[in-house]
Amino acid sequence: MDSIEAYVPILLFVLVATGFALFTLIVSALVSSSKYNKVKLEPYECGIEPETDARDRYSVRYYLIAMLFVIFDVETVFMFPWAVIMDELALFGLIEMLVFIFILVLGYVYAWRKGALEWV
Amino acid sequence: MLEITPAHYTILSAALFSIGVIGVLVRRNIIIVFMAIELMLNAVNINLVAYAQQLQNLIGQVFVVFVIAVAAAEAAVGLGILLAFYRNKETVNIDEMNVMRW
Amino acid sequence: MAEAIAFYTLSILILGLGVAVITTPRTVHSVVFLVLNFLCVAVLYVVLRAEFLAVIQILVYAGGIVVLYLFVVMLVNLKRQPEEHQDPRRLAKIGLGLSGAMLVELAAIVVYSYSREPSSVTAPSPAFPVQGNVEQLGWLLYTDYLIPFEVASVLLLVAMVGAIILARREL
Repeated sequence: MDSIEAYVPILLFVLVATGFALFTLIVSALVSSSKYNKVKLEPYECGIEPETDARDRYSVRYYLIAMLFVIFDVETVFMFPWAVIMDELALFGLIEMLVFIFILVLGYVYAWRKGALEWV
Repeated sequence: MLEITPAHYTILSAALFSIGVIGVLVRRNIIIVFMAIELMLNAVNINLVAYAQQLQNLIGQVFVVFVIAVAAAEAAVGLGILLAFYRNKETVNIDEMNVMRW
Repeated sequence: MAEAIAFYTLSILILGLGVAVITTPRTVHSVVFLVLNFLCVAVLYVVLRAEFLAVIQILVYAGGIVVLYLFVVMLVNLKRQPEEHQDPRRLAKIGLGLSGAMLVELAAIVVYSYSREPSSVTAPSPAFPVQGNVEQLGWLLYTDYLIPFEVASVLLLVAMVGAIILARREL
């Protein structure tokens, strides 16, 4: 399992998945009839009539949540190799990881206190 | 031609880096400029990983982990600056970002 | 052979998608091309036997950072085209020329340094008490690179605080 030939099944899987998606899209585009009118072209919003333009400004809260997600995502990435070799690193590894987590918990507490996690 | 040496990866990386530089120098939309910077970071990562493989030394891969952490921090702060700028000027054009220009 | 096929296919995809990122007029399309570009780079990491990096490339870049970009594109709802206004003093053509010159220079350095002597140097990492890509990478990260690892957490903290302060006024 030490050469890239081991990944051929995954490659086939990706090709089949992409091919199926493309096949479905192309066949449905070829087969379906295309008669449009004004009501048909309206965006579908769960059956409710759309009132405003879809390209409305989003709340900045989306950005804050996504930003916090990215930061803690990277934190998890750093924790993953530690979890795999926890036994070999022993107490030393535990202490350094606790320092790492402590520093990031400071940021978490800050975000909480500033209300970045609130969704009003 | 059929044997892939680190030189191949270096040339790929140089080409991707140049695409990023062109994006930064030619485009005026700050979001696209940021994305071009991400392309440049990726070009550097490809180089580091290729040489980690060539030299059988994992230190290059450790550096890529740090580069990815820095890229995440850069994206968070850079896009925060972009939002603050947009709030004041209602635009994302770099040419209008000239208050601090000589 | 397999590596050559994978390398050339991925190179074409990576460079083509990179060009698409910086040439597409619509920012959202640009972001989508960026995701595909990152996925191709992740596959290239698999070819280079860096499995852990391939996973975090998808996890952090394609899954995290690009989502951030997408939210910002939707937050910045533009009433006029972003590139409508052009600074008359801007010298885009010179920038393009300079980038081209840099590419030629980089390629020349690579070709020159590899034409002089075949590179068969290896500087293998010291013996690890553990086996496997993730394990060995983690071993380096938590022993030799302990200080950069802790500094990275401070960097992430600073980034988090800075981004909250910059975006807070609308809260």
